[in-house]
Amino acid sequence: MMADIPTRLPLRFLGRPGFTLPRLPWYVWAAFLWISLVLIVAIFAPLIAPHPYTGMKLTNRFLPPFTNWTHPLGTDELGRDVLSRLIVSVRISLLIAFGATVISAVLGTTLGFLAAHFRGWVEQVVLTLADFQAAMPFLILALSVLAFFGNSLPLLIGLMGLYGWERYARVARGLAISANTQGYATAVTQLGAEPQRIYLRHILPNIASTLIVSMTLVFPEVILVESGLSFLGLGVQPPMTSLGNMVGYGRDYITRAPWIMLSPAIVIVLTTLAVSMLGDWLRDRLDPTLG
Amino acid sequence: MLRYFAIRLFRAVITIAMVVTFAFVVLRMSGDPAILIMGPEVPPEALEAFRKSWGLDQPIWVQYINYFGAILRGDLGMSMRDNRPALDMVLERIPATLALTIPALALKLAIGVPAGVWAALHQGTGFDRAVMVTAVFGFAIPSFILALVLVLIFAVTLGWLPSGGQGGVEHMILPVITMGIGGAAALARFTRSAMLEVLGRPYIRTASAKGLPWASVVRGHALPNAAIPTVTLIGFLVGSLIAGAVVVESVFSWPGVGRMLVVAVGSRDLAVVQVILLLVAATMVTSNLIVDFLYGVLDPRLRQGARAA
Amino acid sequence: MTEPLLTLDVVARAYVGRQGLFGRIITVRAVDGVSLTLARGETLGIVGESGSGKSTLGRMALGMETPDEGRVTAFGDAMPALGTPAWRALRRRMQMVFQDPLGALDRRLPVLDQVAEPLIIHGIGDAKGRQDVAMATLQAVGLSSEQALRYPHALSGGQRQRVVIARALITDPDLLVCDEPVSALDVSIQAQVVNLLIDMQAARGLAMLFISHDLRVVRQIASRVAVMYLGRIVEVGRAEDVLRSPRHPYTRALVSAAPAPGRNRADRMILTGEPPNPAARPTGCAFHPRCPLVTDRCRVDAPVLSPVAAAHSAACHLLSSVAKAA
Repeated sequence: MMADIPTRLPLRFLGRPGFTLPRLPWYVWAAFLWISLVLIVAIFAPLIAPHPYTGMKLTNRFLPPFTNWTHPLGTDELGRDVLSRLIVSVRISLLIAFGATVISAVLGTTLGFLAAHFRGWVEQVVLTLADFQAAMPFLILALSVLAFFGNSLPLLIGLMGLYGWERYARVARGLAISANTQGYATAVTQLGAEPQRIYLRHILPNIASTLIVSMTLVFPEVILVESGLSFLGLGVQPPMTSLGNMVGYGRDYITRAPWIMLSPAIVIVLTTLAVSMLGDWLRDRLDPTLG
Repeated sequence: MLRYFAIRLFRAVITIAMVVTFAFVVLRMSGDPAILIMGPEVPPEALEAFRKSWGLDQPIWVQYINYFGAILRGDLGMSMRDNRPALDMVLERIPATLALTIPALALKLAIGVPAGVWAALHQGTGFDRAVMVTAVFGFAIPSFILALVLVLIFAVTLGWLPSGGQGGVEHMILPVITMGIGGAAALARFTRSAMLEVLGRPYIRTASAKGLPWASVVRGHALPNAAIPTVTLIGFLVGSLIAGAVVVESVFSWPGVGRMLVVAVGSRDLAVVQVILLLVAATMVTSNLIVDFLYGVLDPRLRQGARAA
Repeated sequence: MTEPLLTLDVVARAYVGRQGLFGRIITVRAVDGVSLTLARGETLGIVGESGSGKSTLGRMALGMETPDEGRVTAFGDAMPALGTPAWRALRRRMQMVFQDPLGALDRRLPVLDQVAEPLIIHGIGDAKGRQDVAMATLQAVGLSSEQALRYPHALSGGQRQRVVIARALITDPDLLVCDEPVSALDVSIQAQVVNLLIDMQAARGLAMLFISHDLRVVRQIASRVAVMYLGRIVEVGRAEDVLRSPRHPYTRALVSAAPAPGRNRADRMILTGEPPNPAARPTGCAFHPRCPLVTDRCRVDAPVLSPVAAAHSAACHLLSSVAKAA
């Protein structure tokens, strides 16, 4: 009978915190390499892109990929180089995703700390807002805001910066409360430290690993939401381009030139896949308690 | 028990009130409604008259109360594009959305729950690994990409199915599959981990050590306990039926509420956006209430705790 | 100096809790009308079982908790409100040693940095000077310069408590509150840490509030002892008087339960009955359900502290009969 009871995968225990670097599973390596490649492309996009991403050449329309060395991934309906557009799109999409993730992490952690510090009605307000954010589908809220305010890149980043803040807020509040009720935070308070010092110098470094894991779990979702918005034509606006935007416009030519839409689609899938695999792996290693 | 539901109900009302407040704040922040509706080249006297007739010259909190009152009376404004009551326009589109989302939900449940349970019971096997890999991909592939790939294969290349529009059952197959697959993957992964969590608990080991057959341990102890967290996720899926349709309806040009929202956002038809926002909030809140009720039924501890109070 | 360093004037602190999630509200009086004074350079031991309110008393003495009733006066002035700049500035002069040294230290910082932190907080010295002072203080409590660079988890329990003591002493405070400072340590280590505290107290002229349930430790370190039972002081006096000739039946029970050289096991007095529960405080003398000498008066009438000898007080209706039995 006992043999029937499934035991947990031993894989989970491979990466206990220790001083020696554990052997990484192959998929973590692959994810890591892909993310590095995407980051390099994003940072050096203007240097790498072989053509200007808006450069049109109507005689070169709908060149298929892998047939032509000047346009390795082909050209689109206006004769623009797909590879160059892809490179610039990676840069814009990552800029939005990074900006949004940082805003959301800072916002959420700050609100979580405020809730933990003041308790009482401040905490109730933060928790009610967090419940509200978690209950409402983000895409609907984002679409409403875009409907009322129109669109611009800073607004889009700010709006995406509201994505997932409630998760950081819950984590930061919970951990700060437990640090405050027992242990080092009380001790440092008793030393006469101001709250800023306690939260920034002591509690924040102690919960940083949990927050970083949360960031790697939220980041791919931000990419997906942004690309969804841009795909619907409500996110990044032309002439600027992003991955979702490229898929959205490429969709009109799906019959004649599917490559216009397929190459950004593959980049979106591989990037979210890589970041979420890395995030899952980090979570298992650092903080299995996170959901 | 009664007190438990009273608290949940109160929170549900608060959530709806917050959505209304959100709509009011965003609406007021986005600009002067008089100019927005009448247009910028209207003479100032006309704007003034408009403001007076709509109560826009009153203090902001009076406007807020009036706004709340209007919504409570079911007066949700006129569509600026079609000049018809926005509520009517949205309600007309609901059947089309449900025609896609309900079969999609059934598909999610029919694939996701059994796959998750089976994977948990056969942990480490090829089937389990296949479920996990599919689940990871299911998360990483956004629905618009999945939809386009399906169109590329079944409509463009094979020509078996239409690539969009409304018509017979064949028009529904691709949208329903698109919505169903992603949700099924998430549900399978969640059910699997809920099940594994339960299977690792001591009372399961005790039950099987007592000599109870494994099948009845699973049926009698593991499944009911794993159902509790799974019901929450299903509730969330039901609540997001409309929200989940936004992208898929747009790709397949399906005339439902989701596509209507995208069009309304594009043309800044604020009344329609607001109605859809409230509709989504109401579905979400209602399904959460139902989940809370099911919790009370499924979790005897909650019943006991509530009674002790 | 005639003015006491710290005065607690009939302080009381109650906690409000619920029984169950929506249960009825119950009030627990953790400390119930306690008055104490602490002179400069003096060590006052506070003894009591868990639930006697001794830790709450220590936290009120430091101003980390505000009494519901009564007043705390430190260095001649009323205790400033918790978290105010005045309160924070006062931390330089009053410090605390905690029961769990690992919990009291930040596991992400080397101990040297943590010992230097009070100097940064109170703006004492410059960066280089702070490091030197911190190193010197760590060496004074018996740690090596190599151990000073380690993280808390790389030290033993006794070494960690030395770090906590060094951090408490680095601002040269006048008052140190030690809340069960050795009860989490191995017995073999306890004596070393207690001796360190005694040495530091003598070298620096510290006043100390030493909270412990362990009479052996208190006997070693305290010059005066206060015994607490369910939030009130039942006996207070010079350590030798209280521990050698205890007057209150509860103190007698505690003293006889603690092993001491040269005392016959036969005359041990064993405590019976339920351990004290602050949520259900008995009427009259709180100790009456467990007292072997209980009378009808004890059940209805709470005794007050009254002098039994020079600088020695106890709260018991039967002081004469207790004295006779002793």
